[in-house]
Amino acid sequence: MTQGYSTTSATETSTTPAFAPLVDPTVRTATPAKRRLRVRDVLTQGPIISVLASRDFKVKYKQSLLGPVWLVFQPVALLVAFLVAFRGLGKVATSGVPYVVFTLVGLSAWTFFQASMTIGSSSLLTNATFVRYTPCPRSAFPIAGVIASLPAFVVTALAAVVGAAVTGVLSVRVLLLPFGLLWLLILTLGAVGIAASLAVRYRDVIQALPFLLSVGVFFAPIGYSLAGLSPFMRTVVELNPITGIIEAWRWMLVASYRPSMTAVTVSLVVTVVVAIIGWRVFSGREPTMADVI
Amino acid sequence: MGALHEHGDRPVAVTAAGIGKHYDLGELENLRRTLRKLTRRDTARPPGLEALSDVDFTIWRGEAVAFLGTNGSGKSTLLQLLTGTTLPTRGVMQVHGRVLPLLAVGLGFHPELTGHENVLLFASSLGIDRATIEARMDDVTAFAELDRHMDTPVKRYSSGMVSRLSFAIAVQFPADIYIFDEVLAVVDGEFQERCLAEIKRLHAGGRTVIFVSHHHHQVIDVCERALWLDRGRLVAEGPAGEVTAAYEQALHASAA
Repeated sequence: MTQGYSTTSATETSTTPAFAPLVDPTVRTATPAKRRLRVRDVLTQGPIISVLASRDFKVKYKQSLLGPVWLVFQPVALLVAFLVAFRGLGKVATSGVPYVVFTLVGLSAWTFFQASMTIGSSSLLTNATFVRYTPCPRSAFPIAGVIASLPAFVVTALAAVVGAAVTGVLSVRVLLLPFGLLWLLILTLGAVGIAASLAVRYRDVIQALPFLLSVGVFFAPIGYSLAGLSPFMRTVVELNPITGIIEAWRWMLVASYRPSMTAVTVSLVVTVVVAIIGWRVFSGREPTMADVI
Repeated sequence: MGALHEHGDRPVAVTAAGIGKHYDLGELENLRRTLRKLTRRDTARPPGLEALSDVDFTIWRGEAVAFLGTNGSGKSTLLQLLTGTTLPTRGVMQVHGRVLPLLAVGLGFHPELTGHENVLLFASSLGIDRATIEARMDDVTAFAELDRHMDTPVKRYSSGMVSRLSFAIAVQFPADIYIFDEVLAVVDGEFQERCLAEIKRLHAGGRTVIFVSHHHHQVIDVCERALWLDRGRLVAEGPAGEVTAAYEQALHASAA
């Protein structure tokens, strides 16, 4: 409690300078709240998200001889590896989809999810000084990590579309692809939100994720098709939410493709659930992040 | 705002009422603790620390105010609350306008990014729009004396260059409340003088300045008013000269 000294006296007022009008009229009220982040706050974070995303993207290619050439080289190398691994083992039943297109669709969805999870889930830890010492909105870091993974995705996804067009299998449903991307974005943002906010308190997330992601790739029909699996393995793979997205994208791209409706339904439900949980976990942990990071 | 908060003709910049902040002590998570929780042998709350208790104060817009106190008195926690990086455990704090904090030098710089890119990043993180940032860039560069280095990655800067860039950002962008936490100690004499002059210029321009320094002549030079914190409690507030003198006396008394 205050004691001993009075506050400013009348004589002092004449010597003190005038006050300036506010640069920013916002009034911030801090109380012991469990949650303070609102959806509309995130919607106004466009500028800082774009600066952070371009930083995350640029930093990848700093002091690099090839720089952005890696954007093209990496998916090509991966594609070749998948072609050798799966094609080498035998014919994959792709129901009329050229194998390269078939694989590129799977690769684009999976590599986007993997890259986003890798950058996004550690984003609050790598930006710990911002989290602790600046008023920068925390939700901008994981979102920027996801956005920074988009350029690499666009390269692979475009290759798939061009491949489908060149081989003459392209469907008019390709116009639905933006919704397909939005679907993957929502699922990814939800998962990144959960992982990033838990990693602030529990570093176990950082240990578990690379393992989960490297195992996860085997449980997504990237280089193989669902049709070639045993009923049990097929169910396991269909439970992976990325599987439904890959199946839906192939259906959007290729006229003759018949997707697994089980996988699509599972993925839609999981996407909604993960998005809601992701938001709740993130916004619930956001107020104490500076205290426990 | 409104009539309730008027002080003469000045509106408030910050109001704090009954502010308390609790921290858990010790390691937050480890294997031993997990096992004890699983076997239900550890139901007690971890030991805690009241970094702040029952702190009330008002800072008027356009004022320059210092926080005095030894290490562990709660100054940094209070500045974090003002910045908005954490919430109080008890009480209500209201902050009017944009806060530009300099809580430590070089914070938030990415070593691989250039000086220019880092200024853009840091200023954007405060909510300043791109056009304003680009418009102020020349002033930032000039103040930091880094005109030939703005396109060089910050990892190749000397520590002096990093501090100069930090300060340039902290004083050259428009904000309503500027916070400086013991940062003048890291820069050399001539630049320190320029920083002090710049902080006084902000204050003269009617901006609110919150200043923490262990150099009490700087406190008296910059601030009109001082608030003295001791073990998380506000023990005195008043004209900077008087409170600083009383604080120094108490320091000497406890040392003797």
